Amino acid sequence: MDKQDVFIKSIQENEKLIHKVASFYTDCKDDRDDLVQDIIYNLWKSFESFKHNSSLSTWMYRIAMNVAIFNLKKTKRKVPTVPIALNILDFPESDSNEFEEKLQTLQKHIKELNLLEKGIVMLYLESKSHEEIAEIIGISKTNVGTKLSRIKDKLRKVILQ
Amino acid sequence: MELDDLKNNWESANNQITNQNILTPKSINEMIQRKYQSKIKKIKYPELIGAVICFIGLNFIGFNFNKLDTLFLQIIGVLAILLLTIMPVLSFLSLKTFNSANDFDKPYVDIIREFANQKLKFLKYQKINAFLSYLLLVTVIVLLPKFFYGSDVTINKSFWIFAFSLGYIFLLFFSKWVKTIYGNSLKQAEKLLSEIEH
Repeated sequence: MDKQDVFIKSIQENEKLIHKVASFYTDCKDDRDDLVQDIIYNLWKSFESFKHNSSLSTWMYRIAMNVAIFNLKKTKRKVPTVPIALNILDFPESDSNEFEEKLQTLQKHIKELNLLEKGIVMLYLESKSHEEIAEIIGISKTNVGTKLSRIKDKLRKVILQ
Repeated sequence: MELDDLKNNWESANNQITNQNILTPKSINEMIQRKYQSKIKKIKYPELIGAVICFIGLNFIGFNFNKLDTLFLQIIGVLAILLLTIMPVLSFLSLKTFNSANDFDKPYVDIIREFANQKLKFLKYQKINAFLSYLLLVTVIVLLPKFFYGSDVTINKSFWIFAFSLGYIFLLFFSKWVKTIYGNSLKQAEKLLSEIEH
């Protein structure tokens, strides 16, 4: 199997991860599609330098989240993109309207967090351990715990307001 | 509603999509190829148009410089030429900051730091350019009547009364606009940097 085939297989095995990061950092389908492609392009660029020091998914999270940051500052100059049928990240409909409303409020406040907090929340939602979050973010495990509890407090306060 | 509730919801949403495959080998290949092409084709049209306008203006003043017969007008002419040279350079420099290639295989926090620093640099360039544009506008107001009608407006008292009062009002709104546009973004970038360090 050549390098490109290995890469394509790795992407297919982890595509959910890419879609989730793209969805977390964008607000509309067009931006999400652009970001997915930007992430895949940059994963391909860095694929050769992947040293297996961390797991493939940890490495992918790091690249995808880092690309997402720089994607935020791009202007709306569109380049031709490959259309992606993607509506997988819409949350399942809830029976309770009140719950749905609260969920939306929480999501809205998460979008307003700063980039560091947003990254930590994203990985927390992905059920990553403190060790994994620390490895991807580049801060200590203790710092992850501290920041996470601060974020939870912050969100609790804004939601209660 | 807590973050943990959202986490449960997030997990149940993920369970629903476990077996969905959207990306095919063909589409992944296309993404790599198209991105590669788009990098080559990437032309900064607004900056390019701005640079062409500055170049035309610069040549116009250069070729008509002999019409500027007083020392004051000549100083204003030189100032306009300098502004028309510096502004596109600053614009391209800020774009260079904006589009510099990044190594994404780094910890997230390092990329945020890099992002915030680049944003600060970019915004500072833009802020300088906004003020230079204002200066350029002033020089153009003084020079144009001389170029097109051969009259020196600077010797006309009513021109100065009009120019000062209008210029003051314009500057008031202009500085407020610059402060709103760039000030908030600068503050956000600085805040982000300080939050990373703590």
